[in-house]
Amino acid sequence: MPGPDLLSSQGLRLDGRRPNELRRIRCKLGVFTQPDGSAYLEQGNTKVLAAVYGPHQASKSKSSSEGVVVNCQYSMATFSTGERKNRPRGDRKSQEMSMHLRQALTAAIKTEMYPRSQIDIYVEVLQADGGAYCASVNASTLALIDAGIPLKAYVCSCSASMAYKDGVPEPLLDVGHVEEAAGGVTLTVASLPSTGSIALLELSHRLHSDYFETVLSRAMQGCRDIEIILDKAVREHLAEGWTKQDVITI
Amino acid sequence: MAGLLLSPSEKVYILHGIEDDFRSDGRSNIDYRPMELETDVVSHASGSARLRLANTDILVGVKTEIDVPKPDKPNQGKIDFFVDCSANATPEFEGRGGEQLANNISNLMQRAYHSEQAFDLKQLSIFEGKQCWKLYVDILILECGGNLCDAVSLAVKAALFNTRIPFVKAALLDGGNVDLQLSDDPYDSKLLEVGTAPLLVTLCKIGEKCVVDPSAEEESCSVISLVVGVTGNPKCYCSNEDASKLHEHISKCSTIAMNGPGSVAPQTLTNAIKQGINAAKYLDEALGKALLRERQDITNFVKHSYGFFK
Amino acid sequence: MQWTTKTFLTKTKRGNVLKIVREHYLRDDLLCGSAVCNICPHKDDEIVLDNKPESICKLFDFEHYLVLDTNVVLHQIDVLEENALKNIIILQTVLEEVKHQNTAIFQRLLEIVGNKNRKFYSFVNEHHKDTYVERNPHEKQNDRNDRAIRRAASWYASHLLLSKSDFDGKIPQIILLTDDENNRKIAQKEGIVCCTVKEYVENITGFAGLVDKLSKNVIPETCSKDALYPAHLTPSQIHSGIRGGKLYQGTFHASRDNFLEGTAVVSSFDKPILLQGHSGINRAIDGDIVAIEILPKEEWRKPSDIVLEDKADDPGDTLEEEALLNTKVDSEDEITPTGKVVGIIRRKWRQYCGILLPSKFPGATRHLFTPAEKRIPRVRIETRQSDILISQRILVALDSWPRNSRYPLGHFVRSLGPIGDKDAENEVILLEHDVPHARFSEAVLACLPPDDFKIPEEEIKKRVDLRSICICSVDPPGCTDIDDALHARPLPGLSPDGLKTYEVGVHIADVTYFVRPNTALDKEAAARSTTVYLVDRRIDMVPGLLSSNLCSLRGGEERLAFSCVWVVDENANVLSTKFHKSVIKSSSAMTYEEAQIAIDDSTRNDEIASSLRTLNSLAKKLKQKRLDNGALLLASPEIRFQVDSETHDPIEVQAKKIMDTNSMVEEFMLLANVSVAERVATDYPRCALLRRHPSPQPHSFDTFLKAARQQGFELDVSTNKSFSKSLNEAVIPDRPFFNTLLRIMATRCMQQAVYFPSGSRTQEEFYHYGLACPIYTHFTSPIRRYADVIVHRLLAASIGADVSHASLLDTKAADALCDNLNYRHRQAQYAGRASVALNTHILFKNREEIESAVVLAVKRNALQVLIPKYGLEGPIYLPSDKFRYNEEEHVQICGDVILRTFDELTVRLTLDSSNLQHRKLVFQLVKPSIPGVSYIADEQVEKMEIEEIDKKENEKKRKESTGGKNKKKKSKK
Repeated sequence: MPGPDLLSSQGLRLDGRRPNELRRIRCKLGVFTQPDGSAYLEQGNTKVLAAVYGPHQASKSKSSSEGVVVNCQYSMATFSTGERKNRPRGDRKSQEMSMHLRQALTAAIKTEMYPRSQIDIYVEVLQADGGAYCASVNASTLALIDAGIPLKAYVCSCSASMAYKDGVPEPLLDVGHVEEAAGGVTLTVASLPSTGSIALLELSHRLHSDYFETVLSRAMQGCRDIEIILDKAVREHLAEGWTKQDVITI
Repeated sequence: MAGLLLSPSEKVYILHGIEDDFRSDGRSNIDYRPMELETDVVSHASGSARLRLANTDILVGVKTEIDVPKPDKPNQGKIDFFVDCSANATPEFEGRGGEQLANNISNLMQRAYHSEQAFDLKQLSIFEGKQCWKLYVDILILECGGNLCDAVSLAVKAALFNTRIPFVKAALLDGGNVDLQLSDDPYDSKLLEVGTAPLLVTLCKIGEKCVVDPSAEEESCSVISLVVGVTGNPKCYCSNEDASKLHEHISKCSTIAMNGPGSVAPQTLTNAIKQGINAAKYLDEALGKALLRERQDITNFVKHSYGFFK
Repeated sequence: MQWTTKTFLTKTKRGNVLKIVREHYLRDDLLCGSAVCNICPHKDDEIVLDNKPESICKLFDFEHYLVLDTNVVLHQIDVLEENALKNIIILQTVLEEVKHQNTAIFQRLLEIVGNKNRKFYSFVNEHHKDTYVERNPHEKQNDRNDRAIRRAASWYASHLLLSKSDFDGKIPQIILLTDDENNRKIAQKEGIVCCTVKEYVENITGFAGLVDKLSKNVIPETCSKDALYPAHLTPSQIHSGIRGGKLYQGTFHASRDNFLEGTAVVSSFDKPILLQGHSGINRAIDGDIVAIEILPKEEWRKPSDIVLEDKADDPGDTLEEEALLNTKVDSEDEITPTGKVVGIIRRKWRQYCGILLPSKFPGATRHLFTPAEKRIPRVRIETRQSDILISQRILVALDSWPRNSRYPLGHFVRSLGPIGDKDAENEVILLEHDVPHARFSEAVLACLPPDDFKIPEEEIKKRVDLRSICICSVDPPGCTDIDDALHARPLPGLSPDGLKTYEVGVHIADVTYFVRPNTALDKEAAARSTTVYLVDRRIDMVPGLLSSNLCSLRGGEERLAFSCVWVVDENANVLSTKFHKSVIKSSSAMTYEEAQIAIDDSTRNDEIASSLRTLNSLAKKLKQKRLDNGALLLASPEIRFQVDSETHDPIEVQAKKIMDTNSMVEEFMLLANVSVAERVATDYPRCALLRRHPSPQPHSFDTFLKAARQQGFELDVSTNKSFSKSLNEAVIPDRPFFNTLLRIMATRCMQQAVYFPSGSRTQEEFYHYGLACPIYTHFTSPIRRYADVIVHRLLAASIGADVSHASLLDTKAADALCDNLNYRHRQAQYAGRASVALNTHILFKNREEIESAVVLAVKRNALQVLIPKYGLEGPIYLPSDKFRYNEEEHVQICGDVILRTFDELTVRLTLDSSNLQHRKLVFQLVKPSIPGVSYIADEQVEKMEIEEIDKKENEKKRKESTGGKNKKKKSKK
């Protein structure tokens, strides 16, 4: 009944994925030389760059003796969306995204290790095709690891929404732009999969409480799948890094 | 430039090296650093390019929109440059920190493209006096390693070269409105003529000499630099047969700007402009070759897309 | 999994051009669905295609699967629906194109694919890594799709070849069916076996009649050979024409009386656009959305007032003269904007019921079909079974209407039964009114509780136990779906005002206990929306087990109910309201008459009688209050048939009797509905399902008020209160029926009441004009109305008796639901009326009656009269040479006889069966007697008949004057 057919009778989504499949995720650590850590991540057609500066001395106004100040900025390239954006940042949505990023990342960083310091995390969305927030969190995690900042766990983010196949509700993992625009609800969760805790949860529309559990567990499954992908990328990057360094020392 | 810490003796070292035409990274004063260029990296945009000049990283996306031409130029389209300095490059750019630099560069680009001989806006007309294309050239600076202007102009020209404008059929309706009909074939599009598009060359006066393609360290030693916008040679941007049909090209200066607190002698200026035009010619040829080779690769399906994975 | 992208351009609403890039995943885990295959990892239930698909086509003596192209599905869906072709591969490319082009056919295709026995396998070729093809530069979308279909066909062939090892070398081949010659050529070059549908189907053995279902080949619009009609514009021409303001878009409505005339409503004109003649209508069929060009003003005409039927004989493919239509225009204001159809934006064809016209040549295969709906033109079909079909009601689908054909082309779909057969006629009524009436599917029946269902103990514990309370139901005689029951009992305490108090309960069958959301049963009920009552047949919304047994509140049986219980004082003021689920045991299921007797019989003092008396007296007070608020007492003539118990033919007809008890039940149902409406609207401000009755348009009363004025009554229609008051005062003492008549006519000036979700309207618009209450809904008949089911669910969730569910709260779903409810409701009413008409015709088949009648309306060439005894209504045609019509006064004058609205006449009723499909009752004037017009009594019959023979050549005119002279004058007296 609600929403157009997001699932075909053969159980495939509009782009050919099954309901429980992630989009293609490709990522790379250390794409830039100047920041302390950087990463590039593609989730389908959503492409995100993240750069980390720090920890460095915090500006006086922000400084906290409790732990490190996590400073995030979410910015979207003006050409990243279908219709051109006028401003890359500063609008309400970007500011909200920045806050959500901070929320999720602070949960993962061992903040108590760097009192009176600051970590800057800058995210640049180059192409937005749905789930830009999720991709930003995932890229930031990689950038933080690249910067060598101690984390409690990987923080991964994934979205899920609802579709109906023959009237039976079926949650869809990792929602793309077309599915987002179809008007259904999108649940976005950022979690630390290895501890199983949730750092951030957001719902775009009303979702009936009957479905909440199934949609959430599908999104959490997505986070776990993403963690595996990120972990593999980190290991590959490190292996590569060692060989490179060897060459230099010789 | 940004957040760079350089001791006085390091500065002297750079200065003396340039005096002897021998720069700290081993180049001569007229050498450019190695560049990497890839086009069509942003699939949402009508055209795009990413250029990496040593540490300088520029991403350009071209978006097209339908607009109404200016009343005094009814048969011309519009082009608009927007520069965004990403905080990825340096924390100083956070918030509105990079705005001034961004405005400087976008104004420079706007001026360089303003001349009809630099970029023909007539090719963007759809229906005279009623509708035209407006090109938004959005430049994203991802990393600063010196010589932003040159890098930006190269990336922009590459992105425009890569831009495809959809074919539309326009018909005038009774009410004076224009009805646009769009072909359902995404391949039904035209490429822009960008051969004449200008390149910017920065000449950085360090001591008494001028160098091209200054690194960030060299920029911090300079008190004044000169930016010359030079129109390109269309012959470099088309196949050999087409090139032979074209008239002989004379490079023209479409803009000159000076940056920095210092001053230059008129003679130095004239020499520098000449040097700039020469460098631009050389850059233009190299860019044209690279772009044509890439296009060839795409049509032969041998091109592999790297994006940020290289 | 491989990854690629699809790029395309779209135009936004603001006129911008956007480049859109979508991801497209190519998979390697998609199955081929064939039993032969040992490569794909099929599970048992995933194999659809046989390993030895026998060929039924003479052309191919080897086993094969069929691959269809899009046009084959679009044009030949009726052939596919026959249980003949099996082992067919439906490609996703085809599925998507069909969905894009025609959703109705898409649904039908899904139905076939869903049927396991048909062995249709839908293969997702667009996402298979080996069958996906990318669009080439400058390739047309259609060409690309054809290429994708060919690619899939050859992939299948080679894929099956790879797995042949197990099956002794014999593997099914692939045959591509396509009518596109070019496609066939390329396919053959690529080594794919292909064939046209026509060749294939014509060579099928063992399925007689399949050929009849073949859709006629479409001749392209550009072909101008022997063209009779002007060519239609192309879609892009239409599009730019409409945008440029040269053309207009409208829905074409054919005239009922004149097959060469129609209108189209266009928003920018006040009057509908007149479309006349073959070329003016240019092959538009009633309901089509068309593009219209307006003719220059000097060519504007007025609608012709003649009746023109398509000639009985088949003139072949020629068009006749149209001079008849050129009516002279008398005055400026009579002309209407006139235009011509220049293109079809969207066909709204459905399947049509009708009969075959006898062909002049025996053994011919080309025949003409006459639809039952007069607005639809005749259709040319090809069949070899004409000698059987000639006596049948048949269903025909339209295929196309090429320029060189006088009639649209169609094909036979199925036979409904012999003409005149009751079942066949009922079937026609149901089909023509789009009433879903198929038997309940297995999936639906599987949702039902067992036949010997007992209410579980735990369910009783959850509910309020009212089994000990004396509850009874009052319904019409023979009612088996009892959805409401009542009770009333005095309470010990007094109200704050010192009045006696009563507890009154309305108990409604708890249908939602059985019909759970989103089950097959629920979906079927939602699709049907309402139970449809024909005279001799009831088409249930829910299966009989529920409607007539488990949900029916029968006397003496324990039933689940949803109760609404009030405390009221003796003046019928509601002191408190509560809702709860309950279990009840009705003491007695009574008819209105029985209840009336129980109330009137003063000797009865049992619990039932006293409860009924309390209810009755409270109901009267409730009604008075409602009337004081301005509620309108409206009337519509309703009739009842007495049906022969064996033949089910009607034997007598009478107007329904209304008793006190009718109104007693009605009052409490209204009260319950209003109470529930208030509750759900408060709890669900956006998605409560309510019912509103908009105030009538002021100008719709004009004619009615004029007629009342002639009778000396000034009616005030400014508000419903004043209207109600003036209606009450408009009484002629010696004509008791006059007031009823006024009310009947007033009813016709009103708009329809409709369902709507509360979020779609403002609070003021909730108003129910007829009932004069600010908010209203339907709660009391969940067995026969789906709206009530939804309201039950809303109320249950609101009081915590049941869980809510997502689709209940979805406002978009609520909108769609209301649209369907309103549509089905309207169609059910029309179907009911059609059924009454059908039975009236059967009743009057062999008899004539002389009855008194009243004039409802005076028209240019006729009087609309009503027979109060039967509630029947019809026209008396008046010849224009005898009568003069006064437009100002709306009267017909003949000499000194003046006929006005509300006049009482005597008429004679007979049946005209000259047209088998459109039998109609003929009304003839008896009194006042006007020579040459009025019917002359029996003794003069013989003379009349002689006269008639003389006037044979004048027959047409006579037909017009008396509405078809009767040939059957066998007096039955």
